[in-house]
Amino acid sequence: MGNKKLWISFAFIILALFPPLFLSQYWLHVMIISLFYVMMASSWNLIAGFTGQVSFAHAAFSGMGAYTSGMLTVYLGLPPWLGILIGTGVAALLGFGLGYLCIRMGGIYLSLTTLGFSEILRIIITNEDQWTRGTMGLQVPGFFVEYSKTSYYYLFLIVTILLLIVIYKIIHSEMGLTFRAVLNDEVAASSSGINTVRVRVLAFAISSAMSGLAGGFYGHYLMLITPDVPSLGQMFLVLAMAVIGGMGSFAGPIVGSFVLEILSEYIRVYGEYHVLLFGLIALAMARFAPEGVVGILRKKWRREWA
Amino acid sequence: MGVIIEGKGLTKSFGGLTAVKKVDFHLNKGEIVGLIGPNGAGKTTLFNLMSGVYHPEEGTLSFNGMEITSLKSFEICRLGIARTFQIVRPFLKMSCLENVLIGIIGRGDPREGIKAKGEEARKLLKFVSLEGHEKNSANNLTLIEKKRLEMARALATQPRLLLLDEVLAGLNPSEILQALELIEVIRTQLKMTIFWIEHVMGAIMKASDRIIVLDQGEKIKEGRPEEVVNDSKVIEAYLGESDA
Ligand SMILES: Nc1ncnc2c1ncn2[C@@H]1O[C@H](COP(=O)(O)OP(=O)(O)OP(=O)(O)O)[C@@H](O)[C@H]1O
Ligand SMILES: [Mg+2]
Repeated sequence: MGNKKLWISFAFIILALFPPLFLSQYWLHVMIISLFYVMMASSWNLIAGFTGQVSFAHAAFSGMGAYTSGMLTVYLGLPPWLGILIGTGVAALLGFGLGYLCIRMGGIYLSLTTLGFSEILRIIITNEDQWTRGTMGLQVPGFFVEYSKTSYYYLFLIVTILLLIVIYKIIHSEMGLTFRAVLNDEVAASSSGINTVRVRVLAFAISSAMSGLAGGFYGHYLMLITPDVPSLGQMFLVLAMAVIGGMGSFAGPIVGSFVLEILSEYIRVYGEYHVLLFGLIALAMARFAPEGVVGILRKKWRREWA
Repeated sequence: MGVIIEGKGLTKSFGGLTAVKKVDFHLNKGEIVGLIGPNGAGKTTLFNLMSGVYHPEEGTLSFNGMEITSLKSFEICRLGIARTFQIVRPFLKMSCLENVLIGIIGRGDPREGIKAKGEEARKLLKFVSLEGHEKNSANNLTLIEKKRLEMARALATQPRLLLLDEVLAGLNPSEILQALELIEVIRTQLKMTIFWIEHVMGAIMKASDRIIVLDQGEKIKEGRPEEVVNDSKVIEAYLGESDA
């Protein structure tokens, strides 16, 4: 990592320590949710932005993480951290299985299969209500004996930073290089000795595991898990955050998550149309500014400073 | 010497068109063999069959005595066959160094450290005269530089057999000479077998041990360069092209 980038990251982390000192409980909640979305959008970006596989099952995997951990803590009395660990593992395994099944199809088939998978999962969760409590929601224990938004904020901050470090390391590793080669040109990558199917399945499984982890923490923060967690509405919100922020860049989904989550707090009063609105903006961005907000700003700064 | 690759009765069609028709051929270890034929003769398709981009409907391919007919591209590459593309396919959104690194990673040898791989990639870029372009995006290269980059990426996989699809196209006479020198070095110092497609007749005739001629998917002639240029069927095939 370049020295400049290291200092900028460091400065942001220091700044991120202060919000609990001056933010209201309400805005602290918005920050925690934003951090959850940073994890979701950044891990989705790992498959969509770096290997070009548009998966619609990302919210579903976060739901797997949330419900697995939730049910393990409720019915077996496991501590949340262990539940989340197992939930992450379940998401990873399912991600591996689903990836293995549909990645050979590639392209639009992958998108359609993942879409189907999400819907099936949502239906199962809604119908198996003796276990999941259906649309009523499953009440699960929190992380801390004494509920405190400040504690949750720091917990989410730490987990998000760790996850981002892992993503950064992956992007800049040999594995990340093979991700990008597959995205650039699959035939050329394969002819150069890269097992492209393995690369795609691996990316899919890793990204699904990360989403399961994010979902696990999310569930124990909300303490009430509903089928909204693995819903398509949630999926499109995450997609919009990554696309508007900037797919295929490290900072894009981070910026996109904070901007859209904060924005949606302001426009929520007009009803639940914000996901639709963000979806339309994301479509327009994908068409006219595929590098997203971060890409646009980067170009502008380069022009002004260079 | 011994045979390094052998194809028997290879056939591949696209819809109603048979691009490669019952082709038998072989290459000996250490040979440099030219593949020629008019446009659309099936030369690139034969390369695609040999590198696992397509699989033949009929016929078999064996490499060093091992059947590779239905293997995937990456498996074939790891066994020791690398290629360049007629219509270049470098990884455009990656740097030149990263392009070559992919070839090295493609060998699938986990013992080598990332540092050593970087050093090797640098050397290969230098070998194809692309030093100084390490951090440059492949997208910014000229067509000729892109071809050299593909060559470096193919060499990075440490092949025993190198398939070169029209690497001389678009070069001026002095660049052709440079490229031929490079190919000679690859053959003599790196001890690779070379199978190359070229439309630049003078060059391919001068530098090849043997020539294989395809026309409309079929092998119509095979032999030493001087035998091939005077063959009536070959002359006819090329004349037919200029008539059309
Ligand atoms: N993917 C494909 N789909 C359909 N037709 C194809 C495909 N690839 C090749 N062909 C056809 O197969 C025939 C042989 O093509 P090929 O590219 O192998 O010829 P070539 O000898 O390499 O010609 P050139 O000298 O022009 O490169 C052509 O008629 C071509 O149009
Ligand atoms: Mg060709």
